[in-house]
Amino acid sequence: MMGNKAEPREMTAVDRDAVAKTKRKLRRTLVYIILILFTIVNAYPIFWMIMNAFKTSQDFSLNPFGLPAQWVFENFQDAWVTANIGTFFFNSVLVGAAAVLISIFSGALAAYFLSRFEFRGKKFIYGFLVIGLLIPIHATLVPMYILMQNLGILNTYWALIFPYVAFNLPITVFLLTSFMSSFPKEMEESAIMDGCGVFRIFWSIILPMTRPAIATAVIINFINNWNEFAFALVLISDEALQTLPLGLANFAGAYTTNYPAQMAGLTLVLVPTIIFYLLMEKQIVEGMTQGAVKG
Amino acid sequence: MHLLRSPWKIGLGLVLPLIIYMVFGIIPIFISFYYSFMAWDGFSAMNFVGIENYVTAFQDSTFWLSLRNNILVVLASVLGQIPIGLGLALLLNRKIKGAKFFRTIGFLPVVISTVVISITWRMIYNSEQGLLNNLLETTGLGFLQQNWLGDPDSAIFAILITIVWQFVGLYFIIFLSALQTIPKELLEAAELDGAGEWHKIVHITLPSIRNVILVAIVLCISGSLKTFDLIYVMTQGGPAHSTEVMATYMYSETFEGLSYGYGSALSILILVFSLILILITTKVMGVKRA
Repeated sequence: MMGNKAEPREMTAVDRDAVAKTKRKLRRTLVYIILILFTIVNAYPIFWMIMNAFKTSQDFSLNPFGLPAQWVFENFQDAWVTANIGTFFFNSVLVGAAAVLISIFSGALAAYFLSRFEFRGKKFIYGFLVIGLLIPIHATLVPMYILMQNLGILNTYWALIFPYVAFNLPITVFLLTSFMSSFPKEMEESAIMDGCGVFRIFWSIILPMTRPAIATAVIINFINNWNEFAFALVLISDEALQTLPLGLANFAGAYTTNYPAQMAGLTLVLVPTIIFYLLMEKQIVEGMTQGAVKG
Repeated sequence: MHLLRSPWKIGLGLVLPLIIYMVFGIIPIFISFYYSFMAWDGFSAMNFVGIENYVTAFQDSTFWLSLRNNILVVLASVLGQIPIGLGLALLLNRKIKGAKFFRTIGFLPVVISTVVISITWRMIYNSEQGLLNNLLETTGLGFLQQNWLGDPDSAIFAILITIVWQFVGLYFIIFLSALQTIPKELLEAAELDGAGEWHKIVHITLPSIRNVILVAIVLCISGSLKTFDLIYVMTQGGPAHSTEVMATYMYSETFEGLSYGYGSALSILILVFSLILILITTKVMGVKRA
């Protein structure tokens, strides 16, 4: 209200304005307080763990909350040597990458046929592949163990690679099929005219265009494999073949009394994860949430 | 869409994924079903026992306890993660300094491996050196100190809190991205009509993202039914089975108790329970999935 009326009324308008302003300020402060509290609750446990990895046991028991009085690195040396973290790291990368490769390649090929062609049984095959999203992995632990034993690949990298591919195919096919379906039909027409084969079109036209969705699928696949624990627990007992989550769980179980050493082991695994996350945040977040937002 | 006249090419394209998916994803479930009618220790000969394993399960108080805990995990996830995530998203859905920072930290626990989270929280809850008891001590609340994971009464709640903590960020970001798709004009028009913040949320914001909320609930239920790692690492289902969920119980019965038949029956029950629950929620809420 632009006041050009009697003086007292103008005052109230100004007053009201001031009240509204303070109210807004107060609300803004409250919003900040809540968000900062949430951030502390989210980040402090992680910060606490990383900080304590740099403390001596004594420093940790005297001063458990803050920065180390003196930064020591022995815990990391301890953890690296006794926990075999280097080996676990290598195994995780190898198994994770191999499974991603197979899952993305075969998933993309399936998605190509399911999205670009019409044939009988197509809907059924798609539904059959995607329903795997709902299967709780651990319901297959027992038969998987027996199956791997019968196939003679228990305690090999393959024992993990195959299930990782199988359980990532549904999300991979889902993401890639919906992306490839969005291309116009004319896309490969001229190529067909030129007499290009079906697989040639896949390789040199469709696959390159699907790159953004493939990037998302690769990230989700890899994170799933990198963090997977249940299959590794059941299918791998040879310590030389264990992946990081399993190796870490065993290491922490053996070192229950020495917290700084445990924390150093966790930090060694956590820091690369956090760096990877900060570098690829946009793709990671998009990949992990887009199913719900677009669903 | 093109009509493909050479079916063998389609077969060639689909054969690899279908074989891997069938052999290592679907067929194991049928094997499980078969073994669930057997008594078998994994080494000696199998004996067909009919539905005895299922009967045993229904009379097994630990099975019911683990089913109850599974339900608690689902409830805590749906009633914890979703409302908190939604609330935070509504708070952050405005021009605010540091919005990017809040998002980044908010999502951080979601990308960390569950094993790392479980070990960290196991240390947080430790009765002597743990962060929680230390904090209570320093803030003069020492009388609240507990052996959080060691006491059957508090252990499951300690675990539920960790589970909520781990995934709040996921729903926070899902809702935030959904909120940002609401056209600004819609809210501005309401503002011109004099609608207050609360009114806008109830009558415009929430209805606009209704479907995302429903999908998130389904996601949350199916995700929380997969809980295994966290409990296995934090408590192994103990103390005295108080934190057992069906998956951890199935694991210990099979691989520690060497009852492969019983474990298989439990696997089938997990599967049936999960699918029924997901089916019901999808039906009840009328979610349309793409």
